Amino acid sequence: MSRLDEAAFAALHARTAGALRAYVYRVVGNAADADDIVQEAFLRMLRGDVPVDSEEHLRRYLYRVASNLVVDRWRRRRHEQPEHLMPEQFSAPPHYENDASVAKIFAELKPRDRALLWLAYVEGESHEEIAASLGVGRRGVRVMLFRARRRLRDLLQARGIPVNS
Amino acid sequence: MTEWFDLNDAEDRALAEFMSRVANLHIPDRGSPMATASDLYCKAALIARWEAERRALRPIDVMQPIEIAGGLFAAGLLLYWSLPHLFL
Repeated sequence: MSRLDEAAFAALHARTAGALRAYVYRVVGNAADADDIVQEAFLRMLRGDVPVDSEEHLRRYLYRVASNLVVDRWRRRRHEQPEHLMPEQFSAPPHYENDASVAKIFAELKPRDRALLWLAYVEGESHEEIAASLGVGRRGVRVMLFRARRRLRDLLQARGIPVNS
Repeated sequence: MTEWFDLNDAEDRALAEFMSRVANLHIPDRGSPMATASDLYCKAALIARWEAERRALRPIDVMQPIEIAGGLFAAGLLLYWSLPHLFL
């Protein structure tokens, strides 16, 4: 068991579970899988001997475990049913007036790109923090993030959404 | 904040605006309630206890077939040695 007592764990869970679930859901595109991954991440944190240095450290650990679980799941299912990773299909309007088209555009990115963009823009993480969350090198994050942003920009442009005005 | 090194301000604004829309998208419920912190804590405690039991029982699990095999071998040997004396 980790050195977290139940009350401290409950407080950490209350502060991080919602954001972690939102992140995982946006990357995997499936509520049931997102819940499973979030629960597994918390269980692994409790079962592992994670030092309780700071809440930020634990939070980073959770994001890293969740990201690894997302990748494992993606690799497992890639050959079985690739379309399962994508949320339900929508017709593609030229602009993102509604939530469905926003979700559709975001789902067209690769899971790793979705994770990078979410951590950078929504969580506001630095390259070092993203590297820690995803378990990759800082230089790698810089390049991967550059490519993810370029792919998103290209996707938006392909749908006629002005990104240069 | 993340430092950018390639896109211009307008592009970055457009991406930031799009990502803010993504962040505010509704996230559907699973249908069944998620495990609470207390549930997870209890589950982790149960798994830890179960793993400790398995670790403690592992030597017994390993030794059991060896003991049975040793017993059968000894019984066979005893029978082999005692066979000539049984029918004298």
